[in-house]
Amino acid sequence: MTHAIIRSLKSAAAAMVLAGAICGAPALAQDLKIAMSAEPSSVDPHYHNLTPNNQLAKHVFESLTEHDELQRIKPALAESWKVIDDLTWEFKLRANVRFHDGSPFTADDVIFSFNRVPNVPKSPAPKTSYTRGKTIEKIDDLTIRIRTPAPEALMLKHLAQIDIMSAKAAASVTTEDINAGKGAVGTGPYKFVEFVPGDRYVVARNDAYWGEKEPWAKVSYRFIKSDPTRVAAVLAGDVDVIETVPTADAQRLAKEPKLALASALSNRVIYLHLDRLRAESPFIKGKDGATIKNPLNDLKVRQALSKAINRPAIVDRIMEGEAVPASQLVPDSYAGTSKNLKPVAYDVDGAKRLLAEAGLPNGFQLTIHGPNGRYTNDTKLIEAVAQMFTRIGVDTKVETLPPSVFFSRASSGGPDKTPEFSMILAGWSAGTGEPGDSLKALLGSFDPKAGSGSANRGRYSNAEVDKLLAQGLSTVDDDKRADLLARATEIAINDVGIIPIHYQKNTWAAKKGLKVIPRTDEYTFAMSVRTQ
Amino acid sequence: MSGAAAAQRESGEFGRFAARFMEDRVALIGLAMLVVIVLAALLAPWIAPQNPYDLARVDIMDSRQPPGAKAGEGFVMWLGSDGVGRDLWSGILYGLRISLAVGVLSGVLAATIGMALGLLAAYAGGRTETLIMRVVDLQLSMPSVLLALILVALLGKGVDKIIVALVAVQWAYYARTVRGSALVERRKEYVEAALSLGLSHARTVFRHILPNCLAPVIVIATVQTAHAISLEATLSFLGVGLPQTEPSLGVLISNGFQYMLSGKYWISFFPGVALLLTIVAINLVGDRLRDVLNPRLER
Repeated sequence: MTHAIIRSLKSAAAAMVLAGAICGAPALAQDLKIAMSAEPSSVDPHYHNLTPNNQLAKHVFESLTEHDELQRIKPALAESWKVIDDLTWEFKLRANVRFHDGSPFTADDVIFSFNRVPNVPKSPAPKTSYTRGKTIEKIDDLTIRIRTPAPEALMLKHLAQIDIMSAKAAASVTTEDINAGKGAVGTGPYKFVEFVPGDRYVVARNDAYWGEKEPWAKVSYRFIKSDPTRVAAVLAGDVDVIETVPTADAQRLAKEPKLALASALSNRVIYLHLDRLRAESPFIKGKDGATIKNPLNDLKVRQALSKAINRPAIVDRIMEGEAVPASQLVPDSYAGTSKNLKPVAYDVDGAKRLLAEAGLPNGFQLTIHGPNGRYTNDTKLIEAVAQMFTRIGVDTKVETLPPSVFFSRASSGGPDKTPEFSMILAGWSAGTGEPGDSLKALLGSFDPKAGSGSANRGRYSNAEVDKLLAQGLSTVDDDKRADLLARATEIAINDVGIIPIHYQKNTWAAKKGLKVIPRTDEYTFAMSVRTQ
Repeated sequence: MSGAAAAQRESGEFGRFAARFMEDRVALIGLAMLVVIVLAALLAPWIAPQNPYDLARVDIMDSRQPPGAKAGEGFVMWLGSDGVGRDLWSGILYGLRISLAVGVLSGVLAATIGMALGLLAAYAGGRTETLIMRVVDLQLSMPSVLLALILVALLGKGVDKIIVALVAVQWAYYARTVRGSALVERRKEYVEAALSLGLSHARTVFRHILPNCLAPVIVIATVQTAHAISLEATLSFLGVGLPQTEPSLGVLISNGFQYMLSGKYWISFFPGVALLLTIVAINLVGDRLRDVLNPRLER
């Protein structure tokens, strides 16, 4: 009898444990584990303008405006705004927003953050281009005015890049303090828990968030740079979501029943930059090895090279469908792009004809330089381009370098800090979600003082492009600005200032039952992951 | 002694040596593999269906084809193709050329430098010896991959730079071995005899001591050649070795690594097998050489 009771008690206990395990499952599902493909250099939001840093910062910090998943501007800490005149903007700040330490968010925090950005010590890539020239005036606790010396068309885009820190909590903290958790106080949907450089970043839900509360109690990010390891981690269930699914695996993972894939066309263009600075280019020789006049200064040669590239083949064979042939600097779904430009069609005979017309019927010798491991399949891409150039008679060699070495030499490795190479492959992501910034950086005449041509490693310079660009960037009216920028793009691209190849697609893989809202800016946010 | 007789004696010695070598079946198989591999590498331009270094012949439309698929140019790619459309069979043949050339050249250079310094240390003694041998100790205390990695990162890419790096990590092995045997030889009577006949130091060292130290060097050389080949592959796999457009076996393996999980095993697998066979063949031959040349194992 007693035995029977004990036995039944035992089985009841077992049943309870089992039930507990089943009930426990949804509770566990509140934790989210995400694997990132790149590592942040810090979690200080003002320290380094780097994709992984910005991505992680947006969980804890917010800015006055924010980008939605298609990089359109939406209000965030600023509730509304109006343009008072071309040089003055007025922002109404959101009321009843509290920092994670409970203190209220006011205009003083905005002013503090804008003053902190240019004063972060040892910043490798500061965000000063977004704060430069802006003077902020406090009208009352929840109203500010921002004045600029010239009309600033990209005001709202720039404000989205500056995360607001608490003036009280972050008053005298250093980047190292923030990495250790001191002063990492924002208004965002998640609170800072822990940052272990090289390993993980952990945040917890902010239950006092002003907006919609997040479904995840705890989110941990792991940094897994190796592609196969990251894929293996999501397949094994060690993580729930991975970013940057390698192109080699995308097709196979799409068939995997345990996973769901999401992808979005990114704002990153992969392009070739051509040396337009020199009369004789260091990595271009005649077929016989003799020094020749820089052929890239001839429009016909540039057109020939663009026609020699079989973009659909690159997308299909190298990118395995995870890209789209490019016609300009940002995909033409964005405002300010040209609808007249189409990807240049593959035409070997036409390319050879153009080379002959340019007086180079036999072609020439060229070396293309590029990074190994910065962009998806970059090395293979350069090899494919080299194959295609070789077919029109331009004997092409490939040299790839570690990204940090490549970028410093490509920007200033030559004599007098000039760009070192004759032709490079690189990528550019339009962080602002419009073509103005990209045009200014890649195709604006090189002028560090004016902040123009900061990534113009070919030193392309066209007075008309510069003029339209300057007009566009100081036109606050959206339609007029879009028209001016589209015209500038058309001129520069028809003049083959760069040779666009493709726009990357970003792909995420998530455990079945989770849904990732794909973003064009490549960011992987816990805020974009939802249960289905 | 007439020249013919000397030749006969030498061929007799070699014959005995060869006969002893052949006694081991496994070593014989290793030697046969090595001969085939070296021949394949030497004849690559004639037996490979494609010149994988000629970008005009490599087509990305042929990329990632499975073994047995037909290339755009019509030939059959028996081992499939890699991510940029290179025929893997051709790639392996040409890759073997680079891998073997790098291994042998760096081995010969390292042996020359190492032997010269080892002999100098043993013969000169004193401070010279201390200096050379401390450098050797220092060198041997560093992991060779790490040292080579640093050197290649400083020097840049290219076959010549890889060879410099490999020589730098290998010479110490030769120096230490040669010094060891030279120290023993130096005290022997024939050296005293040579010196008392008034022969110069250089002649004594190179004509009398050196030949008697060669046996262990030959053994070290085979082992080190295999080591150099795998070290080159390691460096190339890590992306600091040889250029992408002229792949060695290591570059081919590294190119296929990202496809391992997606089921396209052949891109890494076949170059890996080629590398494995090459190193096993060299090591089998080296093992047997050690047995044959070791006087202590003499029957």
